[in-house]
Amino acid sequence: MPKRTLDRLPLRWTLLDKLEAIARFLWPARLRGATGWLFITPALLLVGVLLIGLGYMIEYSLHELDLSTYRLKDAYTLDNYVFLVEQPVYLRVLLRTLLAATLVTAMTLFLAFPYAYLMVRTPSSALRKFLLVSLFLPFFIGQVVRAYGWLIILGKEGIINTVLLKMGLPALDLIYNYGAVVFGLVQYMLPFAVLLIVPAITAIGEDIELAAESLGANWLRAFWHVVLPMARPGLVGAGVVVFTLSMTDFAMPEILGGGTTDFIASAIYDSFFQLSNSGLGAALSIVLVTLGSILVAIVFRLTGAGTLSIRQ
Amino acid sequence: MSTAANMVEIRNVSRAFGQSVAVDNANLTLQRGDFLTIVGPSGCGKTTLLRMIAGFDEPSRGEILINGQNVASVPAYQRSIGMVFQKLALFPHMTAFENVAFPLRMRRFNPALIPELVDRYLSLVKLDHLAARRPHQLSGGQQQRVAIARALSFSPDLLLLDEPLSALDKKLREEMQLEFRRIQQELGVTTINVTHDQREALVMSDHMIVMDEGVVQQSNTPREIYNRPGNRFVAGFLGVTSMFKGRVSAIQDGLLSVDMGGVTMTARGNDALFSIGDAIDCAVRAEQITLLEEGAQARENTVTGLVRQRIFEGDRMVYEVRVEDMNDSSLYVFDHNPGKHGEHDVDTTVRLGWNAESFYAFPVVK
Repeated sequence: MPKRTLDRLPLRWTLLDKLEAIARFLWPARLRGATGWLFITPALLLVGVLLIGLGYMIEYSLHELDLSTYRLKDAYTLDNYVFLVEQPVYLRVLLRTLLAATLVTAMTLFLAFPYAYLMVRTPSSALRKFLLVSLFLPFFIGQVVRAYGWLIILGKEGIINTVLLKMGLPALDLIYNYGAVVFGLVQYMLPFAVLLIVPAITAIGEDIELAAESLGANWLRAFWHVVLPMARPGLVGAGVVVFTLSMTDFAMPEILGGGTTDFIASAIYDSFFQLSNSGLGAALSIVLVTLGSILVAIVFRLTGAGTLSIRQ
Repeated sequence: MSTAANMVEIRNVSRAFGQSVAVDNANLTLQRGDFLTIVGPSGCGKTTLLRMIAGFDEPSRGEILINGQNVASVPAYQRSIGMVFQKLALFPHMTAFENVAFPLRMRRFNPALIPELVDRYLSLVKLDHLAARRPHQLSGGQQQRVAIARALSFSPDLLLLDEPLSALDKKLREEMQLEFRRIQQELGVTTINVTHDQREALVMSDHMIVMDEGVVQQSNTPREIYNRPGNRFVAGFLGVTSMFKGRVSAIQDGLLSVDMGGVTMTARGNDALFSIGDAIDCAVRAEQITLLEEGAQARENTVTGLVRQRIFEGDRMVYEVRVEDMNDSSLYVFDHNPGKHGEHDVDTTVRLGWNAESFYAFPVVK
């Protein structure tokens, strides 16, 4: 009969035992209740730094730029905000941004849902892998490179226009307009949306859909009355993420918009680095953050707290 | 509505997935109001058969008739079938009331009548007081009841049960078996139940089908199948059965003399299937074997063996006995007399006897 314990334990076991002993020494058992806090401390610190930054932004936004020195004046004032309200261009940029974010969100969800559904439900593992790889490939390229890729395809002398001219058709203005920006953003956001919707669809058992069918619902009704309501948490979560990312995006409007369709992020950038008016830029940033927070809060209020699968 | 004599008729139905045959040439007829249970081990094809009846899957060959109508071209949502799923598949975003109302809305019942119908079926399953609850606010047994009410509220021709009780604990499961039976008889709805639980099959059904490897092994009433198993598989699947190998040494009037190694025994079998010298399998159920007391009269088949194991199951003692004279085979025997549970110790000798009538002979399956 083999001995119950070995004389020499495998090295890996010995090392792990030592590590555990060190951990026990550094973090005695009576602290165990606080272990959870230990692990979220880094995250809390990160968020804390962010909040401090936000505090500074608020501070900045309350000082007017001194045009003689190009530094912020010491006196507290709401002039920056008044300026934003008085200049119609900022309202226009704001509305343009919100409209684009809304359009992008709607279109992205519309495209992402069937994609995610197929990915979850297909019995073919080859198709599932193909869909997954197709989803991630653009991820690896990065946003700026991707936007330039669109320039190559859609530009004045890009692939599409070259082909059109060869066929004797007039060239089209495919970039440097609103549509191009929305299009680019949808393409950029699709993977995020799909990845957020997939778990929601996975959570709907196939039995549920069969049950709906056997109870008399054709696929359209089963989809409308059962699948869609049950996938709502995933859809809302994806919607919020896509909306906020689109609303704050900088690269797509810059590159595909070519300066014709500035978003708020562009305006903020210009205030800081073109106008050197950090007070105005900070005020714009605060407006953006406030607006985004309010919209997200409204969505959560309307759809319940279970939206990001935090609570069901 | 047509009133065919048979509510369900399955004719030569097969279903193959690539090379593997899930259901092989199944036939069955089910009369209006009957309760049929299809029982078999997992992978025997019973679920595939049920899915084809429900319309979730199509036969590779053969036809299915429901209420006299060939349903080959009828999609699942247009068949008049209520189904209770293994995982229940209740809609979590709807209340019990809305769940039961769902098929009525989908099937375009008069909206004015829906609340009344829902109430009636929720009362039938004794849940009318919990109509406003969501599924996750209900216990397992209550969820079962919602699922039943939902499957029945639109008065389907046929009720299908896909192992809905398998997830429940034993006590609740047995309670729900009787409950299903009560509701089924109260409404007279034709029902097909699929299960791997032989007790459920025996308790609940008017009619029973045993399946294995895609093939219907036997189809009859539960009592008939239990008492007259048609083949080796059915004999072994139902009850606690002991199997022995032997060789036929004589045949007369449905009784076979079987050489079992050291002893010759008498078994029951169809004359036409056997000839002298054949290798056969013999089966006996544990409850048919009697522990013979000192000096008790021998049965048609009597052997002595060594107790290998005693298993106390509360209401009975189960002995595993090894019999040298029967090729050293083991057999199981029950002792239901509580006063005698301690009588036989491991490694002591016991004398066992059973009648030829309960000793089934089957040709060896090659």
